[in-house]
Amino acid sequence: MKRRFCDWWLRAVSSVVPHDARSDWLREWQAEIAFTAARSSRLGHDLPAGAVWRALGALPHAVWLRCDRWRFDMLAHDVKYAVRSLWKRPGFAAVTLLTLGLGIGANAAIFGAVRAVVLRPLPFPDPDSVVTLSTTTTTRPGLPGGSSSPPDFLDWRRDTRSFTEMAASFTEASAITGDGPAEQVPNARVTGGFFDVLGVRALYGRTLQVVDDPVNAENVAVLGYSLWVRRFSGRPDIVGTLATIDGVPRRIVGVMPRGFSYPLRAEIYLPLRFGEKDIIGQRGNQYLDVIGRLKPGVAFASAQSEMRTYARRLAEQYPRTNENRTVTLFGVRDALVGSVRAAMFFLLAAVGFLLLIVCVNVANLFLTRALGRQREFAVRAALGASRARLVRALLVESLIVGGAGGAVGLVLAVWLTAIMAGLDQGLGIPLLDQTRVDGSVVAFTAGVSLLTAILFGTLPALHASSKLDLARRIREGAITVTGDPHKQRLRSTMVVVETAIAVVLLVGAGLLARSFAGLASVPLGFATDNVQTFSVSFPPPKYPNSASRSMFVDTLLERAAQLPQTESAGAIFGLPLTDLSYSIAFASLDGRKLTREDPRRPMTQVRVVSPKYFSTMSIPLRRGRVFDAGDRSGTALAVVINDTAAAEIWPNADPIGHEFSLGTPLGLQGPIAGGRVVGVVGDVRDFGPVTTTKPTAYLSFAQFPMNYVTVVLKTRGAPANVVEPARALLKDLDPDLPMFEVRSMAQLSSNVVAQSRLYLLLLALFAGAAMLLAGIGIYGVLSHTVGQRTREIGIRLALGAAPGQVVGAVVAHASVLSLIGLVAGLVAAAGTGRFIQGLLFGVKPIDTMTYLVVASGLALVSFVASWIPARRASRIDPITALRHQ
Amino acid sequence: MRRLSITAVTVLQAIADGYEYGFDIIDQTALPSGTVYPALSRLERDGLVRSAWEDEAAAHAEGRPARRYYRVTPPGVRALADAVAFYRALLPAPRPRATRKAARSTR
Repeated sequence: MKRRFCDWWLRAVSSVVPHDARSDWLREWQAEIAFTAARSSRLGHDLPAGAVWRALGALPHAVWLRCDRWRFDMLAHDVKYAVRSLWKRPGFAAVTLLTLGLGIGANAAIFGAVRAVVLRPLPFPDPDSVVTLSTTTTTRPGLPGGSSSPPDFLDWRRDTRSFTEMAASFTEASAITGDGPAEQVPNARVTGGFFDVLGVRALYGRTLQVVDDPVNAENVAVLGYSLWVRRFSGRPDIVGTLATIDGVPRRIVGVMPRGFSYPLRAEIYLPLRFGEKDIIGQRGNQYLDVIGRLKPGVAFASAQSEMRTYARRLAEQYPRTNENRTVTLFGVRDALVGSVRAAMFFLLAAVGFLLLIVCVNVANLFLTRALGRQREFAVRAALGASRARLVRALLVESLIVGGAGGAVGLVLAVWLTAIMAGLDQGLGIPLLDQTRVDGSVVAFTAGVSLLTAILFGTLPALHASSKLDLARRIREGAITVTGDPHKQRLRSTMVVVETAIAVVLLVGAGLLARSFAGLASVPLGFATDNVQTFSVSFPPPKYPNSASRSMFVDTLLERAAQLPQTESAGAIFGLPLTDLSYSIAFASLDGRKLTREDPRRPMTQVRVVSPKYFSTMSIPLRRGRVFDAGDRSGTALAVVINDTAAAEIWPNADPIGHEFSLGTPLGLQGPIAGGRVVGVVGDVRDFGPVTTTKPTAYLSFAQFPMNYVTVVLKTRGAPANVVEPARALLKDLDPDLPMFEVRSMAQLSSNVVAQSRLYLLLLALFAGAAMLLAGIGIYGVLSHTVGQRTREIGIRLALGAAPGQVVGAVVAHASVLSLIGLVAGLVAAAGTGRFIQGLLFGVKPIDTMTYLVVASGLALVSFVASWIPARRASRIDPITALRHQ
Repeated sequence: MRRLSITAVTVLQAIADGYEYGFDIIDQTALPSGTVYPALSRLERDGLVRSAWEDEAAAHAEGRPARRYYRVTPPGVRALADAVAFYRALLPAPRPRATRKAARSTR
C-alpha cells in the first residue's frame, strides 16, 4: 500500500521535472524507495512510514529543478527576446505602456490619498489608544465631533478611571503683532495634559503642561513648526523670548516638531484656562474638544461603557443641560476623517475597476498580437519549444510591459499626488495635504503592476499557445472561414466584461452628476456674486468694552462703503457657510418663563449683524423692518428672525412685537441675549445646501458687539479688487488688527460643494476613460472578427448578399455583446448602489433616468465602434476576398 | 563562486565521508529529503559533485534497481575546504581558562 502510494506519487510529481531530466529523476527516486523496501523486507518489515515521508520530499526537488531551469534560460533568453520583439513594434508598445501607465498611475495616486487620509499612522506614538470623547445625543450617538462643556470635561477628568490623561482644546485665531506685519493665525487653546495625551514632545523648549493651567500662571505660548519657520525664521533662540499675541505679551516656551499639526492646521498653542465663571453655569456651553489616552490594558469598549455610565449620572444630576446627552468615544482617526473614509474607499474601488478595464484591453491587444504570431510559435514549437516554454516567453513579455507600465504609472502618480496634496483646503478632506508617494505607495504600485501583468498576460499566453497544430500553422493555408470560434469566444467575453465595468462606473458618475446638479441648484438664500468678506477680531486689552468695538465697526463699515469698489458694507458674527453653530434655547417667551420640561421650548441659532448686512447680502425683508441706527446700546433690544423661526415659533400669528429672552449674556459684558421681534427676513442656508435651515435670531451688533466679526462688502466688479483697498483702510484705522479669513461668498459657496465636485470629477474621468476603452475594445474585437471573416463575407457577397445585410450582421454581433454587457453592468450597478448612497443628494442609487442615459450612451458607443468595421466588411471586394488566405 | 550554504557544506561533507546515495546522505545529515535532494542537484549543477549509476548486476543480485551515487569532484573538495575554513573562523576563539578566571575575580 505504502509502496504503491510512493510509486504513484513519484510518477505524478515527475511531470514537474524538466522533460530531459525526468527519466533519470524518476529512476533515482524509485531506486531509493526500492532499496529501502528491500532492506525492510529482509528484516521482515513493511516499508517504513519514514520512507513515505521522504518520498514527499520529491516535490520540492522537482519544483527546484523546474525553477532552476526556468531561471536559467528565462533571464538569458526570454528577456532579450521580449525586449527585441517589443522594440520592433513601437506602436503596440507605446499604446500598451500609456494605457497601463494611466491605469496604474491613477490607482497609485488614489491609493496615496487613501493612505494619507485613512491608513498612515497619525504622527504620534501609539495612536490607537488616543480617543476623542464626544458629547452626543442619546438618539444619534454615532456622529463624531460633538463638543463638550468645561464642567463636564472637568468632572470626567476627575472621576473616570480608564484614561492615563485627558485634555481639552478648542480652536480660534490669534493676532500676532510686532516684529513684522500683523498676522492672524489659527491657534489651539489646550489644557495642560494635551501633549501628554498625544505623547508628543517639543522640538525646542517644552510643551504646555499642567503648570500652565492656573488662571494666574504666566502667559505662555508654544509655536507650531510652520509658524516658527515662517515668522521667526526657525531660530531656536526664540524660546524664552516674548511675543505679542492678541495684544498680550506672551513668553514662547517651546516649538513643536515638523509634521505635528493637531488639531488640524493649528499654528500656535496657548493655555486653555478655566476660571470660576467657566465652571459655574457653563454646563450647557459646549465648545471643547476632549481627547484622552486609554490606560494600558483598558479596552476601548470598557472605557466607552464607563463614560456612558458616567454620562447617565451627570444627566440625572444636571437634567437641565445634560438630559439626552451621552459620551461617545471615537478613535482619533475616525473623529478626523470619519466622514470622508467611505468616499476615499469608494474612489479606490472605482479606480480599481478602471484598472480592470485597462487589463482587459491590454489583454485583448496581447491576444491579437499573439494570434498574429501563431506562425512564429509554430516554428518555435517545431524546433522543440514546449508549450510551457512559449507561455513563459509571452509572460515575460507581459511582465516587462507591466513593469514599464508601472514605472510610467509611478511618474504619473508623483505628479498626481502633488496636485492632490495642493488642493484647496476648503475641500475639507482632512490630511489630504499629507498625500505623497512614499514606500508603501511604491510597493502598492509594484504589486499592482505585477498583478496587472499576470492578469493581462496569462490568458492570452495560454490561449495563443493552445492547440498548436504545427503542420497546419506552418502551412498557414488552413482554410478557416470564420476564425477559431473558441478564441473568438474569449475575446467576446472580454468585450462583455469591459462593457459591464464601464456601465458600473458610468452609473456611478451619472448618479454623482445628478446629485451635484441637485446640490448646486439649491438656493442658498443670499447673493454669492460680487460679495467679498474678511474677518477682524478685537483683542480685549485694546478693545475692552462694547462701545470701543461698536464704534470701530461703525467707522470701518462707513469708510468701506465709501470705497470706489464697494456698493454697500455690512458685518456679521456667524457668516453663512462657515460652520459656526451657535444655538441657544429660549429662556422666556413673551414674559413667560420656559422650563426645560416645556416640550415646545424653542431653540434658535444666534447671529449678530450690522443694519446693512441684509441688503449687502441681498437677504429679502419679509415683514417689519431690519435694524437701523436707532438700535443702539441703551435702547430696547431688537431682534430680526428668519422665516423658519417665524413659522416654527409663531405658527399662526404675526411674530412682530413678540418678545423673548435666551437667558445668557452675549459677548463680553453684553446684555442678556433676546429682545422684541421687529422684522422677519428670508431663510439662509447657513450650513450649506444639504442641511435644512434652522430657526435663526439676528441681534444688532451695536447692542451686542462681539470680539470677532466678519465684514461683508458688496462690490462693483470683481470682489478680489476690494481686498487691498480694504486692507489699507483697516491698517489706517488700526495697524495692529490683521485682516483674516479673506474670501468671497462665491468661494465659500463653491467650497461647500467642493468635495462633491471632486468626487464627481474623478469618477467622471474614470468613467469616461472606461467608456473610451470599452469602445476601443469593441472596435478591436470586431475589426479582428471582420478580418478573420473576410473570406466568408466575400463568399456571401459573391453569392448576392447586399452590403446592408453584411453591415447588419456585424452590427448585430456587436449589439448582442454590448447588450449582455449592459444588462450585466446594470445589475452590478444596482447591486453596488448602496455603497455610493452616502455620497448622493436628492437622488436614489437606483435612478431610472441615470440608468437610461448610461444604457443609451453605451449603446451608441458600441454602435459607432461596430459600425466602422462593419462598413469595411461591406466594401470587401469578393474577388480579393476569395483570394484572401 | 558564491560561498556554500551550511546545508551544502553538510551534504558535501557527508558525501566526502563516504555516504554516496541520496537516502544514506539523508540518514547521515538528518536533513529532510526536500532539502537534501535540491542541494544535491545544485551541487551537481555547479560541478562540485558528479553522479553515476551503480553497477546493475550488484543491484540486481539484491533484487532492486540500481541506485545513483554521488562523488565529490576536485573543485568540490576545494570549495568544501574553503567553506569549512570560513565557517570555522566564525566560531568564537577558544579562550584560555586563566583569562576567564581573571575576569571572574575582577567582578
